[in-house]
Amino acid sequence: MSERILSASAALAEALHEEMTRDETVFILGEDLTAHAGIFGQFKGIPEAFPGRIIDTPISETCIAGCGVGAALTGMRPIVDFHFSDFVTCGMDELCNQAAKIRYMFGGQVNVPLVVWCPDGAGLRAAAQHSQSLEAWFVHTPGLKVVIPSEPADVKGLIKSAIRDDDPVMFFQHKRLFAREGPVPEDSEFLIPLGRAAVKREGKDVSLLCYGSGFFICMEAAQALAREEIEAEVVDLRTLKPLDMETVASSIRKTNRAVVVHEACLTGGFGSELAARIQEELFDELDAPILRVGARDVPIPFSPGLEDFVLPKSDSVIRAAKRVCYR
Amino acid sequence: MAIEIQVPKLGLTMEEATLVEWKFGPGERVRAEQIVLVLETDKVTYEMPSPGEGLLHPVVAAGSTIKVAQVVGYLAADEEELRALAARFPPAEGEAQTPGLPEASRPEREAEQASRHQQKRVLASPLARAMARDHGLDLARIQGSGPGGRIIKADILKALESKPAPESAQPRTTAAGAGALLSVSEEIPITGIRKVIFRNMHLSLSSQAQLTLHTEANAAAFLDLRARMNKTGAPKVSFNAIMVKIVAQALKQHPRINASVEGDAIKVWGQIHIGVAVDLGRGLIVPKVRYADTKSVREISAELEKLITAAQSNTLGLDDLTMGTFTITNLGAWDIDHFTPIVNHPESAILGVGRIVHKPAVEREAVVVQPRMALSLSFDHRIIDGAPGAAFLKTIKDLVEDPLLML
Repeated sequence: MSERILSASAALAEALHEEMTRDETVFILGEDLTAHAGIFGQFKGIPEAFPGRIIDTPISETCIAGCGVGAALTGMRPIVDFHFSDFVTCGMDELCNQAAKIRYMFGGQVNVPLVVWCPDGAGLRAAAQHSQSLEAWFVHTPGLKVVIPSEPADVKGLIKSAIRDDDPVMFFQHKRLFAREGPVPEDSEFLIPLGRAAVKREGKDVSLLCYGSGFFICMEAAQALAREEIEAEVVDLRTLKPLDMETVASSIRKTNRAVVVHEACLTGGFGSELAARIQEELFDELDAPILRVGARDVPIPFSPGLEDFVLPKSDSVIRAAKRVCYR
Repeated sequence: MAIEIQVPKLGLTMEEATLVEWKFGPGERVRAEQIVLVLETDKVTYEMPSPGEGLLHPVVAAGSTIKVAQVVGYLAADEEELRALAARFPPAEGEAQTPGLPEASRPEREAEQASRHQQKRVLASPLARAMARDHGLDLARIQGSGPGGRIIKADILKALESKPAPESAQPRTTAAGAGALLSVSEEIPITGIRKVIFRNMHLSLSSQAQLTLHTEANAAAFLDLRARMNKTGAPKVSFNAIMVKIVAQALKQHPRINASVEGDAIKVWGQIHIGVAVDLGRGLIVPKVRYADTKSVREISAELEKLITAAQSNTLGLDDLTMGTFTITNLGAWDIDHFTPIVNHPESAILGVGRIVHKPAVEREAVVVQPRMALSLSFDHRIIDGAPGAAFLKTIKDLVEDPLLML
């Protein structure tokens, strides 16, 4: 099956087209969707192709999330657009207390096949309230799945699996990555199963475990490290929950060293969880402490200079990788 | 007012000691009579009870040599006084610099001290540990190249490279194989009583010209004497007690044996203090029977019993262990006949008593069965010639064979 070069936005739009064509219960719900096909152009062509199945809502995330949960309960497969992941706090009860727990509370009589689509991340000078990476909150909520694609092909393969999944899925897509291009399979059945990580660069010296924007930082770092004869293996986790510990483990068994990289701030971030799992399950495989690279523990600053200072960069990854390689 | 912790004088000749260990950390509360520190002289290890209650402020670090009456630490009544003390008297080096609340609980400190005692803790990555385990490598013998000397995978790989093939397919020719063929199962630090023995044994053989003479005595009368004494219902007397008495009498006849070299002179002692070597399991100590020549066998036996009990409960004072003039060591219980005991420096001779065993002997041109006692005398040939040494041993032999001659 052939591939084309598409942006992440285009890959998402293609996947949505395919899934909405395939299944008439799939529909999109959110603010300001029809006039501009989403603020990042991510729903391009959909308002025209599927009139009535992409719905503009009032500015109330509580309402949007509630509608999504209700629709999912009645047999639809809604995709809820949260506009900015930062607004998710207004739908917290609907997502964490309802969507996450309903199947459990009703003894499995109902499913909540809901996709919560959340553009997240910093770097757009959008300040503290529009720049967060909040995945750890949802990883900490049993009942939710958490998916974070990096490359355009992952966006397509993962959103399709998320839509077809019968449980609520938090789908975080980094705002700065919408325009990033990459090869995307044309196949309308191109699915990436949830809970499967990908080794995107092989190496023997250190495992860089990452997802979302962290993946690109790691690839850049890996290239620089290769010039210093450190071969980094880049593992794109893609799904944080369920977590593909098997791929993580086989990589660490090879390299004996791990650096966890994410854009979210360090304390209580997913890196802490992953580092804990690794030391629990792979203690005897480790030749060095597990290091974490993440944003500093502050609100993301509006000032460009300060924002750049706060966010992790490939240099931070290079430093950490060298440290665990004792170089 | 802070209480001073002062080095006690544990014996007449004691001038200095080593402060082996503080049992409490800086700032920790010590109650009166709790063991606060451990001292080691060249004779004994002494666990010193605290002179009072308070928060400890050590001013001398463990491992230091200290003088009698030196103040090695203070006990502060409260935190405020502790801070004042810290300002006036700098804390011991190597101890925590900030007096105040104890930073670690007691068991943690003990564990820490124990590991410090053994040697520096081996730092190794979990992987390096696992690899060393799998390949039977001793981490203590591997140089770590990681931060702080941490042993990492690369170091293990290097060590494995220099390890010979495990099977005997190749002849073991290289010296590098020693690391794999020999591994340490236990490392025992040379401290305390072992260190004392270690030093004294070496000092004895390196400073004296020792030789050993052997003879054998008919022990029938000796055994008979003991049997008769023990029939009376009074506390039983030991072999060693009778031997001490015999040796004391022999020394009276051969005063030059009862001597030491000091500087350029031979000092013949005016008193006879006979030490008896006692094996404690963890080492050997030699408590003394004072003025042995003036005491009866029963007195000596009772005194020995008391000394041995004290030795076993580690309550002997320094005065019980120093200033002897002669030593008896008895290996008869282990079926040893003759041996070459090492003189207990600075004494000049030592009698090794072997087992009493029944064997054929010639008596008036007939072979008879006799209980025979093995006797070995080591002495410092620098000051005791062969003949006087032999004469002394002959006297002992005669007294064993006819103890009534002691009268």
